[in-house]
Amino acid sequence: MAMTKSRRRRITMIIRYAVLSVWALIAFFPIYWIVSTSFKIDTQWFAWPPFYFPNPPTFSNYMNVWFGAEEYTSTQYAISSQKPLISLWNSTVIATCSTFLAVLFGSIIAYGVSRYRVLSDLRMFQLLMLRMIPPIVIVAPLSLYYTAVGLIDTRTGLILVYFLTTLPYAVWMTKSFIDEVPREVEQAAEILGASRWRTVFEIVLPLIRSGLVATFLFILILTWSEYLLALIITKTNVATLPIELSKYQGSTEGRVYGRQAALAVGITIPLMIVGVIIRKHLARGFSFGMVRR
Amino acid sequence: MAVAAAPAAGLPPPPARVVSRRRAIRLFKISLLSPLIVMFALVLMPALLLQLYFSFHQWTVYLGTWWDAEFVGLDLFQEVLTDPRFGWAIVRSLLFATGSTIGCFVFGFLLAYLMYEPFRGNAVYYIIFILPMLTVPVVVAYTAEMMLYQSGPINDILSRLSGTEFKPAWLSDPNIALATVGLLEIWNWTPFSFIIMLAGLSAIPKEPIEAAEILGASKWRIFWEVQLPLLRPVILLALVLRFLEAMAEFPKTWALFQGGPGSATETLPIYIFMTTWQYFQISKGAAMSYIVMLMMIVIVLLAIRLLRREKQSLDKMYEQPSKAEG
Repeated sequence: MAMTKSRRRRITMIIRYAVLSVWALIAFFPIYWIVSTSFKIDTQWFAWPPFYFPNPPTFSNYMNVWFGAEEYTSTQYAISSQKPLISLWNSTVIATCSTFLAVLFGSIIAYGVSRYRVLSDLRMFQLLMLRMIPPIVIVAPLSLYYTAVGLIDTRTGLILVYFLTTLPYAVWMTKSFIDEVPREVEQAAEILGASRWRTVFEIVLPLIRSGLVATFLFILILTWSEYLLALIITKTNVATLPIELSKYQGSTEGRVYGRQAALAVGITIPLMIVGVIIRKHLARGFSFGMVRR
Repeated sequence: MAVAAAPAAGLPPPPARVVSRRRAIRLFKISLLSPLIVMFALVLMPALLLQLYFSFHQWTVYLGTWWDAEFVGLDLFQEVLTDPRFGWAIVRSLLFATGSTIGCFVFGFLLAYLMYEPFRGNAVYYIIFILPMLTVPVVVAYTAEMMLYQSGPINDILSRLSGTEFKPAWLSDPNIALATVGLLEIWNWTPFSFIIMLAGLSAIPKEPIEAAEILGASKWRIFWEVQLPLLRPVILLALVLRFLEAMAEFPKTWALFQGGPGSATETLPIYIFMTTWQYFQISKGAAMSYIVMLMMIVIVLLAIRLLRREKQSLDKMYEQPSKAEG
């Protein structure tokens, strides 16, 4: 009896590893493919049969795409019109500023909700509408409005929209951290004569700083990869990295997979690092109070 | 419980000090909310009002200044509602959202169920499983293009595994193009369902499961009769959020297909985008946006109702033990 039980356990273990490994392959292969393509020379980008390993590996795609290196621009796949480093700067500024604003104001609102109930339960869910209604339904008039007030094609314009659309996540996520701070601390501060604002900024927010960092990185993932709003609100002056990447689609040079891959890898790697750093907090960002510990 | 609990009604009027304190708290509450109010007033409201204006006034970029546009009443709404392309876009969007939601959920739940008890290698699998979600959607689209062309690596691998020539035209066959985007969506967002379901499964208290085990229940019965009912709020959340996000899916579909081949992948966001930015029918696009917005608001309000009910019952469940402690 004991034998059969331990054997059954071993079999379930093997099945478990088999299923998980199959999915791990499915999840990882496309990522492997784009990384390996970024190191391939141009004849291997779409060869038949496909090249599963870059042979010989080359850095020319990276050199060409990111730095527009002279020696490579003479090939037929040369692309010189794009400016990925400027886009990188744009993306960095826009993503960090909008995320910072969202976390700052989100945590203030979350404090109000947690301690003073400035938003009822229902309002908290309604806040999510900012995120749940597809942005496409508002983006056309928004771009006209932006044209009128001079925010079109500016970083500020995009920062404001990202701030607004990520605010619900910021409020919900920081609230889950603030709820865990015992009230006694604040009551003590009040007795000692600290003003309400000082209590927020000097006591509560510092206490949840690791939570604030997690929220910041979580929202950074959203703002960094956003595409639709960036596509419409930015045009020629300000392009973010996803927009920069999509410009290759319309380019007349034909299939430039290696170059695209080199750019794509550069865009995605920071995001993956961030995501892996905050992996333990991802559930909190998505669960909206539905998962209790 | 708020820090400043209001005194019970029916008492004599409170002293002036209390009144001024209450006023200060009121002011504090409003200033906490002020960023939200300001953003609403400065960004969202003007856009919504413009949207309303355009859906009642016929204007395209070729027609002079927009504030002189002709008032056409409900004509635009009629035009949109009798447009078969719009109807098909709704059908495609619903199909795409439902299919990908179910796909994400099934795979995400399966993986979470296999992972929620700790085992060797747990952490490595977790990291690999969340990677697709951390890939920028546009990158997903271009990676798909690099892998799915007819004599590409995916078809090569599938042919070798099956031992037969297996060469579907993932990207150019109108019959399967929407399914291709669906598969990409599933690849991209299964991690989301996985993460939520994993958190939900790990948060289930151990006692009921142990009790059921002692009573001799099989794993199968424990799953259906103990774990699943306790997971209901989490399951609902995973389904609802995923469905709503899938309804809004734009980057992959656009970067890969631009609505084509033919109109095979013309979902609602794509069709609105094309109407507004390719045909420059701003007014028709606005009317369409309004209809979609109302439709989504109805869906979202229903979703919120469901989620709130679950959250309230959870709140109640978790309030009792803490009261017993205190």
